[in-house]
Amino acid sequence: MLEEALEHLVKGIVDHDGDVVVRHKDGRRGELLEVRVHPDDLGRVIGRSGRTASALRTVVSALAGGRSVRVDIVDTDRSR
Amino acid sequence: MSENTSARSDVTNLEREGEIAADFLEKLLDIADLDGDIDVEVDGDRASVSIVDSEEGQVPRSLVGSNGKTLDALQELMRLAVQAETGERSRAMLDIAGHRAERRSTLETKGAEAVARVKESGEKVEMEPMSAFERKVVHDVVLAAGLTSESEGTEPNRYVVVLPN
Repeated sequence: MLEEALEHLVKGIVDHDGDVVVRHKDGRRGELLEVRVHPDDLGRVIGRSGRTASALRTVVSALAGGRSVRVDIVDTDRSR
Repeated sequence: MSENTSARSDVTNLEREGEIAADFLEKLLDIADLDGDIDVEVDGDRASVSIVDSEEGQVPRSLVGSNGKTLDALQELMRLAVQAETGERSRAMLDIAGHRAERRSTLETKGAEAVARVKESGEKVEMEPMSAFERKVVHDVVLAAGLTSESEGTEPNRYVVVLPN
């Protein structure tokens, strides 16, 4: 449910909503949601001083009901 | 364009903002399987969207968060979702379970108390740090009471100072 919710939130705020991919990963450091967007949308998802990324994290942790879930916005330009 | 036509098209735009915002939130509640009804109205020059308790159940208070932190985050995302559709910056307001309405009435009371203290003592009164929207509520109360006020300090610790006449 969490990755679907995050995907919906991110798709809502970007231009290229077909390029949004959210992956759920269970790692040693706990749960992680990895967000990939079109490079042109990266600034939008991060926001001024990281304001949008921080809003996404706040809403995800509220939906996770106290469970700690990290949200990573992947810079696809660099990791490709 | 006459003034009337322009006012009408403003209302139409605000109604559209409200509808986009409501769709965005409705789907989120759906995905997360949360209860809550969504009300949309135009309040002056802004679209105003509220998530309220539904007959099936209450909207979870975790969506408000402590000091409305989650509510502010959701409002921010809602405005961005509207902007992505319309191409225009949105000032739409979001309330959840009456949190902002309650906060507004608390602020109005605090503003009135500060006004009373200033009138009695003839000295300025500094209030607690507030968000821009909250300060606006207090400034309006002070103005209506016939005094003036200003904001001092830097965000996020900016606060209202009520001044004697």
